[in-house]
Amino acid sequence: MRIPLAAALLVLSLPAYAQGNAEAAKGKISMCIGCHGIPMYKTAFPEVYSVPMIAGQSPEYIVKALQAYRAGDRSHPTMRGIAKGLSDQDMADVAAYYGKGAK
Amino acid sequence: MKRILVFALAAFFGAQAHAAGDAGSGQQKSQACAACHGADGNAPTGPDFPRLAGQHYDYLLKALHDYKSGARKNPIMGGQVAGLSAQDMADLAAYYSSQKGSLHVIR
Repeated sequence: MRIPLAAALLVLSLPAYAQGNAEAAKGKISMCIGCHGIPMYKTAFPEVYSVPMIAGQSPEYIVKALQAYRAGDRSHPTMRGIAKGLSDQDMADVAAYYGKGAK
Repeated sequence: MKRILVFALAAFFGAQAHAAGDAGSGQQKSQACAACHGADGNAPTGPDFPRLAGQHYDYLLKALHDYKSGARKNPIMGGQVAGLSAQDMADLAAYYSSQKGSLHVIR
């Protein structure tokens, strides 16, 4: 009896990340694919460099990156704008979609 | 007017070319990176550390420069890049971008 309680407390004590749903992300990635869905695509503003490949990164890293854009800790203007419009749930869903299969 | 344009173009291309990365040297300099990103940049030791293997060279280089300039803020990486030269960063970017990895493009 005590073990389930301990397990429940352990689960509850984990960081309160939103649970991502890759299926739900399909309605949310329209803003991502214009850049991240095109092989070798380069940003043209404010500097020219290749847009990173994000499929295969861990969901945790993708969420962290989006949170950093939202908080202003990363500078790319387009990504800042996009991240500001995403809820925690949106971020988790998009991360689940692109991080699918990553360990 | 024309002369200014030529100078601007020369400055631009000069800046792009000035530190081409060498993957072999990058590997020599990658020990500190391996502690978190894995030996070849493909096996991060924490769930929220990014994979680097196979990522685009110019993106990796930009990330390192942004950590150094403070444009990208991360307490761990900010400390790590403090001692790196432009050549070190180019070498590291060359090394990790040349590794085989599982990063890819999907729609």
